[in-house]
Amino acid sequence: PQNSVPNGRRNLSKCALPRDYREWDKFDVEKECAKIDENVVNTDPPAILNIGYPKIKTKVDVSLLPQQEKLLLANREKDKGNEAFRAKDYGEAVAYYSRSLSIIPTVAAYNNRAQAQINLKNWHNAMKDCQRALELEAGNMKALLRRATVYNHMGNFQLAADDLRMVLRDKPHNATATQLLSEVEKKLSESRPEQQCKGKKILIQEVEEEDDNSNNETTAQQTTCPVQPSQPVGGEESSATPAERGDMGNAQKKPHGRGDGGPHSESNNSHHGHWRGKGGSSDKYKVTQESKEKVANGSSKRGSTASVQGDQSGSGKGTPVGGNAAETVNLDAPCGALPPPLSRLKNEGNLLFKNGQFADALEKYSQAIQGYTDTGLDSPEDLCILYSNRAACYLKDGNSQDCIQDCTRALELQPFSLKPLLRRAMAYESLERYQKAYVDYKTVLQIDISVQAAHDSVNRITRLLIEQDGTEWREKLPDIPLVPLSAQQHRREEPPSTEVLQARAEKAARDAERKAQIHFSALKQDGNDFVKKGLYQDALGKYTECLKLKPEECAIYTNRALCYLKLERFTEAKQDCDAALKLEPTNKKAFYRRALANKGLKDYLACSSDLQEVLQQDPNVQEAEKELEEVTVLLRQSLANASPAKPRKTVPITEVEDDEAITAVPNSESSYRGENISINLQPTNAYDFGQSLNAARCSRNTAACAELLASTAPEMLPQYLSSQLDGHTISFIMEALDSHLLEKDPTLVYQHLNHLHTADRFSVVLMLLEKDERHHMTQLFEHLSVVESTEFTKNDVQNLANKYI
Amino acid sequence: MSMSTPLSKPQIIAHIQKSLNYTVFDSKWIPSSAKFVCLGNFPRGTGVMQIYEVQHGEAQLVKEVEKPKPIKCGTFGATSLQQRHIATGDFDGNLNIWNLEMPDVPVYTVKAHKEIVNSIDGVGGLGIGDGAPEIITGSRDGTVKVWDPRQKDSPVANMEPVEGETKRDCWTVAFGHAFNDQDRCVCAGYDNGDIKLFDLRNMSLRWETNIKNGVCCVEFDRKDINMNKLVATSLEGKFHVFDMRTQHPTKGFVSVSEKAHKSTVWQVRHLPQNRDIFMTAGGTGNLYLWKYEYPAQRSKKDADGGDVGVAGSISLLQNVTLSTQPIASLDWSPDKQGLCVCSGFDQSVRVLIVTKLNVV
Repeated sequence: PQNSVPNGRRNLSKCALPRDYREWDKFDVEKECAKIDENVVNTDPPAILNIGYPKIKTKVDVSLLPQQEKLLLANREKDKGNEAFRAKDYGEAVAYYSRSLSIIPTVAAYNNRAQAQINLKNWHNAMKDCQRALELEAGNMKALLRRATVYNHMGNFQLAADDLRMVLRDKPHNATATQLLSEVEKKLSESRPEQQCKGKKILIQEVEEEDDNSNNETTAQQTTCPVQPSQPVGGEESSATPAERGDMGNAQKKPHGRGDGGPHSESNNSHHGHWRGKGGSSDKYKVTQESKEKVANGSSKRGSTASVQGDQSGSGKGTPVGGNAAETVNLDAPCGALPPPLSRLKNEGNLLFKNGQFADALEKYSQAIQGYTDTGLDSPEDLCILYSNRAACYLKDGNSQDCIQDCTRALELQPFSLKPLLRRAMAYESLERYQKAYVDYKTVLQIDISVQAAHDSVNRITRLLIEQDGTEWREKLPDIPLVPLSAQQHRREEPPSTEVLQARAEKAARDAERKAQIHFSALKQDGNDFVKKGLYQDALGKYTECLKLKPEECAIYTNRALCYLKLERFTEAKQDCDAALKLEPTNKKAFYRRALANKGLKDYLACSSDLQEVLQQDPNVQEAEKELEEVTVLLRQSLANASPAKPRKTVPITEVEDDEAITAVPNSESSYRGENISINLQPTNAYDFGQSLNAARCSRNTAACAELLASTAPEMLPQYLSSQLDGHTISFIMEALDSHLLEKDPTLVYQHLNHLHTADRFSVVLMLLEKDERHHMTQLFEHLSVVESTEFTKNDVQNLANKYI
Repeated sequence: MSMSTPLSKPQIIAHIQKSLNYTVFDSKWIPSSAKFVCLGNFPRGTGVMQIYEVQHGEAQLVKEVEKPKPIKCGTFGATSLQQRHIATGDFDGNLNIWNLEMPDVPVYTVKAHKEIVNSIDGVGGLGIGDGAPEIITGSRDGTVKVWDPRQKDSPVANMEPVEGETKRDCWTVAFGHAFNDQDRCVCAGYDNGDIKLFDLRNMSLRWETNIKNGVCCVEFDRKDINMNKLVATSLEGKFHVFDMRTQHPTKGFVSVSEKAHKSTVWQVRHLPQNRDIFMTAGGTGNLYLWKYEYPAQRSKKDADGGDVGVAGSISLLQNVTLSTQPIASLDWSPDKQGLCVCSGFDQSVRVLIVTKLNVV
C-alpha cells in the first residue's frame, strides 16, 4: 500500500484551532514520517488503549443554549452512557451520565449512573445517586431497588429490606425485589455471622432508555438483557449463579433449612440432641421412654413409619420436638423394622453424615442397603429412607447422577416422600435438567407448601425455562404428578406452637364466621324470596334477623327499607335508608328508597334532593327521573300553597318492577344478588357475566356463583372471563364448583374446568395463587377424581389436574 | 428474555417513495425538522439541491435550486442547530456552505480540490463533538482536507501522498474520536482498498490497513466518543467492523467482516440513537440492518503479553430489497428513531421507517 502522510501545512493565521498550538510544536513530523517510511519497530511500544474516560469532561457548558436543545443534548449524552454501559464500559458510562446530568438532571440518568456505580462497586456514589433520584421522584421503583442493592452490599440489611418492601407494595410481583428481599431477610435472620453467600450479587441491570416514556421500561429491560441466554450482560450476573448454587448447598446444612435437614434419623434433630447430651444423660445406651414406645411400635410397621415421619418433619422445620428421643450417639437405637446390625449401620451413617464425612456415610448406607436385600426384609419405608439418605451423600459429593438414581428408587418404594423428591430436584437442577427439576419441586410444594427452598428454586427455574423454551415452556414440561391428599403434610405431628394455636383460633373464628355467613345467607335468601312473592311482612322478619347477625350489611338495610315502603311504614324505611347510607354513602338504591320514603312522608324537598343524587350517580335510572318530575310538581304545589301539601291522593308505590329495573341497571353493588343473578342467569356477554360473578363474589355467595356457572356454557367461560381473571376469581369458581355443582352435575364441572384453563392470563394467575386458594383447587380435583362418570375418566381428570396444579 | 417471534424483529417499511427527474447522489435530513435535502445532477449537466418536507405521508417539494456544478455530497455535521447550514462538495472540487433559507449564494465557498469531492463529513456542530466545527473533504485528487468554516481559503490540515507517489482516489471520509476538545481523528478510504486513520491532534497517520477492494464508505459508530468501532464497506460486497478500542503496535485493530448484498456495499450508517445498530445499502437495491455484539472481553493478551483487541460478532436483524438499482445514500433522522431517507440510482428517494429498534 502506498503511504500517504498528513501534510502538516497548518495555517497559523487560523483564528480558532481545535487544539493547543504547543502540542503541535512538540510533534516532530519528520521523525514520524521516517518511522512510518522505514516501518521500523525497534521495541514494540505498548498497545494504545482507547479507554481514556478520565479525559472526558464530565460537565457540558450549555448556558447559552435554548431549553429545547439542552433536552436534546441531555438525552444524547444519556444514550451514550447507555451504550457504554451495554459495552460494559461502566466508567465511561458514568462520565456520560454525568454529562447528561450536568445539562439537565433527570431521574433516569441518576438511576442509570447509580447502576453503573454499582457495577463499579462505588457504593457510596451509587447511594448518592439513588438518593438524588428519590429526591426528584419519591418512591421511584428503580431507585429504591438499586438503593436496596447498595444497602445490601454495605451490610445494611434492615434498610435494604425496607426499600424492597416498599417496592413490593407497589409491584408485588417484581421478581428481582422478591428474590433480593428473601436474600436480605435470610441475612437478617442469620444472627451468626456465618455468611457463606457473602459475595453474592444480584444486580438490577436494566438501563432506562427513556424515562418519560413509561411503556419503554420493559423494552429497556429487554434491550439490556442478553440476546443469548448464555451470555449475561454483566460479569457480576454470571457470578451470581454459582453463588446461588452454593447457597442451595448451604440450605441443606442449615438446621433451619426447611424440608431438608440431613438424613432421616431418629435422632437427627441436632439442636435437640445436643441439648439432651448436655442435659446429662450419661448413659449412652439408655433407652428413653419415647424410644421404648418406638420399639414397641417397631413390630407394627405403620406405627414406626408414623414416628419416623414425625421426626422428619420435626427436624425439617427446625422446631424443637419434645417427642423424639434416642441419644445422638446411640448407635444401636432401633430404626423402624431394621434388624439391629442394619440399624447400627444406618445410625453410623447418620452420624458420619452429620460430621460431614459423606463418603464414609455413603459406605455405611450402601452396606445397610446390601444387608437389607440380603436379609430379604419387607419394609419398604426403611429401604426408602436408606436410599434417600444415600442420595443425600451423593448429592453432597456432587454425584448428581447416582443421587437421582437413589432418589428414584426411594420414590418407587414410597411415592411422594418429601426428601427424596427434594434431593432429586436439586440433583436435576445441578445437572441443568430444569424441566425435571421443576416438576419435582412442584411436587414437593404440593406435599408441603412451606418448603422455602423449593419456592425459591421454582422461581429461579421458571426464569431459566422461559429463557430456554420461550413463552410456551409450560407445554414442554413433563406432567406434574398430582399428589393425593393423604401424602400432603399438614404438620399435624407438630406440637401446637403459639402460632399454630393462634392460627387454629383464627380458623375456628373463621369457621364460626363462615357458619354465621351461611346462616345469614340463608336468611337473606328467604327474605328475598318473600319479597318476590310479595310477602313483605315475612321478609321484614327475615331481614331483621339478618341484621342481628350482621348489623353492618348495607344491602339488608336497603332491602328492609323496601319492605317498609311496601308496608307504607315510611319512617322506618327512611331510618333503614339512613343506616344503609351510613355504611355506603353512595348507595344508589338507598337514595332512591329514601326518596320514596320522603315522598311518602310528604317531605318533597328531601325527596327531590335524594332523587337528584340518584340521577347524578346514574342518569339512566328512568324511574328516578319520572319520580323527580312528579315530585317537582308536588313540591311546587306545596310551595305555592305555602302550606303542607294536601294529600290529593295516596302515592302509589309501584316498586317491585322498579326495583328490578334498578337492579338490572349495571352497577357494582352486591345487594339483592339473588335477584340480580336470577335476572342475569343467562349472561349474554362478558360484561353481564362479570357483573353477576362480581356480585356473587363480593358477598361470597358460592351458591349464586354455582347457579351462574350452571347456566353458562363451558365453552363460553373463557370468553366471558376475558381478561378479568384473577386468583380470587379462580378460587371462588373452584369453591362454587366444589361445594354446589359437583354433586349435581360432575360432567359440567369437568367441562368447566376443561375450558377454564384456556382463559386469558390463566397461567399467570395460576402462578400467583395463594396457598389456601391452591388448596381449594386440589380439593376440587380430589373430589372430581372419585366421581364415576361416562363422560370422562380418571385419567382425564388427572391430566386436567396437571394443568392446574 | 428476548422473544424471537417474527414480529418482534425490526421491520423496514418503505413509507414514501418519490421519483426524481435527476440523478440523486446524496440525501440528508435537516436536523430538528421533518425535511430532507436531496443533492444531485440534472441531465443537462448542472447541479441541483431540493428540499422536501414529509407531510401526511407524502414528501412535498419545498424548494429547488439549480447550481452550475453537479453536487456530489453534503453534511450538516459542522453547523449549529440554530443555523443548520449544509456543506456540500461538487464535481468541480468546490466546498460550499449554504443557508437553505437563502440558497442563492453560498455563505462559504472554497476551491477545495482539483477534482470531484467524493465525500464530506463534519464535526463540532449539532452538539456533537466538543471543540471547533470542522469539515473534512475527500477527493479524486487523492487528498483529504480539513476545513474550518470560519477560516477562508486554506485548509486546517491536508493529508496527501508524499511526492512521487501515485495518488489514489479517495472515496470516503469520516470524523471520529472527537470525545473532548483536543482529540479528533479522520478516517479515509481509497479506491485501492486502503484505509487510513489520521490523528488530527498529533497530525500523524495513526494506522492504516488494506481491505483488498475499493473502500466505498467508512463510518465511526459515534463521532463524539473515544473511538469505539469503525465500519468500512467495500466494492465486492463485504464490510468490516473494526474494534477501535485496542490498537496493537503491529496488528493494529482487530475486525470482523461479513459478506452481504452480493454486490458493492455503497453505504453504512449507524443508528444515531444506538451505535451498535447500523444499516448497509447495497448495489442490488437492498438494505441490511445489523447489530454488533460485543465479545465477553474486548481485549486479551497475545503471546508477547501485549494487548490485542477481540472482535465481536455481527447479527443480521432485517433486510429488504427496494429497487434493482444501487442505493447510494442513506441517512437516519437524528431526531426520530427509525426514520430514514435513502436515494438510489433509480432516480428516486425513499423515506423508510424501521420499527422496534428500541427492543433489539
